[in-house]
Amino acid sequence: MNTHLLLQLVLNGLIVGALYGVVAMSFVLIYKASQVVNFAQGEFLLIGAWVCWWLLTTYQLPFLVGMLVTFAFMMAFGLALQVVVLRPLIGEPIISVIMVTIGLSIFFQALCKWLFGVFAQPFPPIFSTSQVSLFGFEIQTVYLMSLGISAAMMAAFGWFFRYSKHGLAMRATAFNQQVAQSLGIPVRNVFAMAWAISAVVSSVAGIVVGIVNGVSSALSLYGIKVFPAVILGGLDSVVGAVIGGLVIGVLENVAQYVDGQYLHWGNLYEIVPFYVLVVILMIKPYGLFGTRDIERV
Amino acid sequence: MTRHATLASISALALALSLPAGAAEIPIGHLADQSGATSDVGVPYAQGVADALAWVNSKGGIGGEKMNVESVDYGYQVPRAVAQYKKWTGGRDKVAAIQGWGTADTEALSGFVTKDEVPYISGSYAAQVSDPTGASGKAKAAPYNFFYGPSYSDALRAMLIWAADDWKAKGKTGKPKYVHMGGNHPYPNSPKEAGEAMAKELGFEVLPAIVFALAPGDYSAQCLTAKNAGVNYAYMGNTGGSNISLLKSCKAVGTDIQFMGNVWGMDENAAKAAGAAADGVVFPVRTAAVTGGSAPGLATAAEISKVSDPSGNAYRPVHYLSGICAALYMTEAIGWAKGNGGIAGPNVRKGFYQKKDWVPAGMEGVCVPSTWTEKDHRGMMSVNIYRARVTGPTDGPIADLMKAGTVKLEPVKTVELPRKPDWFGW
Amino acid sequence: MATQSLIPAGDFRTTYAADTTIFPTAGSRYAVWAALAVLCLAPLVLDRYWLSLLIQIGYFGVAALGLNILVGFTGQISIGHAAFFGFGAFASAWLSNRFHIPVFFAVPLAGVLTTAVGLVFGLPAARLKGLYLAIATLAAQYILQDFFARAEWFTGGVAGTHAEAFSIFGFAFDTDGRYFYVVLAYLVVTFVLATNLMRSRDGRALVAVRDHYLSAEMMGINLTRYRTLSFGLSAFFAGIGGALYGHYLQFVSVEGFSILLSIQFLGMIIIGGLGSIMGTLMGTAFMVLVPEAMGWITDAVRGSALDRALSLKDNLSFLREMAIGLVIVLFLIFEPDGLAHRWRQIKAYWKLYPFSH
Repeated sequence: MNTHLLLQLVLNGLIVGALYGVVAMSFVLIYKASQVVNFAQGEFLLIGAWVCWWLLTTYQLPFLVGMLVTFAFMMAFGLALQVVVLRPLIGEPIISVIMVTIGLSIFFQALCKWLFGVFAQPFPPIFSTSQVSLFGFEIQTVYLMSLGISAAMMAAFGWFFRYSKHGLAMRATAFNQQVAQSLGIPVRNVFAMAWAISAVVSSVAGIVVGIVNGVSSALSLYGIKVFPAVILGGLDSVVGAVIGGLVIGVLENVAQYVDGQYLHWGNLYEIVPFYVLVVILMIKPYGLFGTRDIERV
Repeated sequence: MTRHATLASISALALALSLPAGAAEIPIGHLADQSGATSDVGVPYAQGVADALAWVNSKGGIGGEKMNVESVDYGYQVPRAVAQYKKWTGGRDKVAAIQGWGTADTEALSGFVTKDEVPYISGSYAAQVSDPTGASGKAKAAPYNFFYGPSYSDALRAMLIWAADDWKAKGKTGKPKYVHMGGNHPYPNSPKEAGEAMAKELGFEVLPAIVFALAPGDYSAQCLTAKNAGVNYAYMGNTGGSNISLLKSCKAVGTDIQFMGNVWGMDENAAKAAGAAADGVVFPVRTAAVTGGSAPGLATAAEISKVSDPSGNAYRPVHYLSGICAALYMTEAIGWAKGNGGIAGPNVRKGFYQKKDWVPAGMEGVCVPSTWTEKDHRGMMSVNIYRARVTGPTDGPIADLMKAGTVKLEPVKTVELPRKPDWFGW
Repeated sequence: MATQSLIPAGDFRTTYAADTTIFPTAGSRYAVWAALAVLCLAPLVLDRYWLSLLIQIGYFGVAALGLNILVGFTGQISIGHAAFFGFGAFASAWLSNRFHIPVFFAVPLAGVLTTAVGLVFGLPAARLKGLYLAIATLAAQYILQDFFARAEWFTGGVAGTHAEAFSIFGFAFDTDGRYFYVVLAYLVVTFVLATNLMRSRDGRALVAVRDHYLSAEMMGINLTRYRTLSFGLSAFFAGIGGALYGHYLQFVSVEGFSILLSIQFLGMIIIGGLGSIMGTLMGTAFMVLVPEAMGWITDAVRGSALDRALSLKDNLSFLREMAIGLVIVLFLIFEPDGLAHRWRQIKAYWKLYPFSH
């Protein structure tokens, strides 16, 4: 038993898991507000990171300015996507909506490869010291930043849903669209807003991962990793999504530990989350924190 | 009714669109990966092959006959390669030879090319296709497979010899620890056994292999595992994009590992993308010179480069030069076949056996002298080991970085391996 | 209903048999026979390229039909169809390589083996609905793909495996022209099977489960049984399609069965029309031809200013993927009922021409 390695891997899992949590949170946001399962969530990360990288390298913008411009772009992008593509699909069966987001995901993945190429591209250096030592563990500064940002965003989400007018409107819409509408909540605007916020939040995660590993098509994988996380947390629970993200992050790293130390099967960390997903669904078909639909005829 | 209409219209369309085949040209197939997992190195290599063939055509072709080269991007997917191969060989104008690419598809096609007698010059240097007769007992007979370069296994053996010396030269004691890292895929797996056996022989302690995917990603978990195990020398079996991620992740977790790249694992672009993390990585280079050197063959290479870049400014990485060599060996072999019984698979194959220490005309000092024989398709046994040097920030075009010396490829050592029979075929 | 638009006025159905007939008019029956006859001549006139496309449409069509039974007729969602398709390909290759079973028998046996796997994955799926089911099948896709990469005894591992050419009594169907007939035969048999299944008691039960599962359950339809059955059926067709693919290519590799293929299968049935058997074939043809069409377009504009500005040739594979994504999105927005629906409208339009309004 190699405790030091295990601890280090768990820590690594928490850092990555926090990012999964952020992406899962923005996924749940869309699902809660507009009942759309977004298979193109990973592409939000991808597009956000590429746009930011492009602004930073081509126009030599300072990092913060570049990031703000990226946020503005992502907000417009999320809005446009909802209005142009998803609005006509309101009332269509679930499979149609799923397929549209899958179609979007294929389209944007290929588009990014076409526009930005297939090479992984490094971000220009942003922090003067690239890593710091904390309790005997080497941690990249940008990971600390990512932890900070993730925590800040989770807190912001909490405040938003509890106290802000728009957040309350969103919760009301999620609870019952018809009732919300009859109370004077502009449901269509709420949908659009959910998509815009989700796109922006995902792009933060995309930029953070881009800084650490370089920007490449690998970012869209986060969109797939999100499924085990949200199923674990239940599709409609924001807190559940964060917890689910952290659990999956740690789980992957522990799987790598078991694999590397004992089993030597290889590649275990990529596949374990999916086995966990199946097991959860077999025991609890609505996830751990999800609400069970009760159907009446 | 529906079926009738649909299929009838398809057949009508088919009739309208089926065009007659091309006239008397030499058909050549060219499989490239421009969009798949290895496209980061596949693109420059394929450009080298395509430019060299177009250049030969512009000089009047092979003995006055032009080549009709069909380049196809197969996205590093074996099924697409096989489907494309069947298109090339099933019709009336069967290709005279194929310029191939990946390990998985080369091995999958090896049986087909043997049956159809199509010389297949691959971008994969897996030792598993270097035995034309099967006499080694380690691999299946692959009489029509050729590649230009040291096999993956031989390159790794040479690097391990260097590593053992390096360990002693640094004055360290004890057993150095070696680990094989790569994706679970035929390409990274190809030299795994050979490397581990060689390492054991040289006195390394061999640790269980570490798997990381053949795609960019976050590999800090793998790096932590390697760091914790105290690895000293690690072989990176993947290509550029994936290796870049590994190097960056490992730098982030603070490992102290001497990485040894595959032939395709490191190059100018990868060194630029990985930045400081790539500093010090050693890797084999298949050509005797790299762009910016002074070998006479580089002038020809510059001329060939103008086929796709008339301005002459594009920087050509090591893979581009190897692509040129691979293409020119093939055209010279076809040229020999043309004068000795006609362009047919078996004759082109014989064309490869005609010269000893063969360097294609015009590429002196670039292509490493290679010898193929009917019993041994290991073209070369000498391995040029280089080291990537990165000494500053790497934003900006690669040509400028190379000129300024921010990114450098330094020759470290040339290892001449003996042509041992027990190193044959694996 | 628009489907009956070609039936002459005054022609009433007086029996159930007449109501469930496959060919509502004699003309439609002759048309199908004529189409088959034309298809049988196809290898004589078409070149390799077009034959290979037709063969592709054939084996994908068989597999897509299975998915349409699951999604279109039973209302279950599956994002893992490619994994079953792959299982069929590996199973058939394994049976013929390992046990020397002639390929002629290995193909249907592979279908049976795949059915068993489909039933195993279908059992837990019977508990899940909608989204949760979609995500569970997504997991099945990744798990099976991982299994293919590891199970060397079965699939040859990551290196893939060789598959024998199709042959009967020593006569090898190893060229496209010959293999075309094999695929055509399977296509006809499976489509007739599926059409007849949908006219049967079980077929109607599947549709009832799709339309309102609670009501169906109250009417005495065993939900678990029919949901699992539809998974099994869908896997059977996927397995047959996969086996045909494997013996056509004569090489099976794990890379061919990624999530992208699963998505393409879904695209085929959505574009063709969910719950339409003939639509499946139209959708399959469409999905096979769209990426090819991108190739023709880039060839046509090669060398022009557009090509130079966008470097289309080098990015062909991305263009193809973009086209697949875009076509799926556009169809769902503008033609959510698929090609089958559009085709019926065209027929109705011409029947009433010039007084269509």
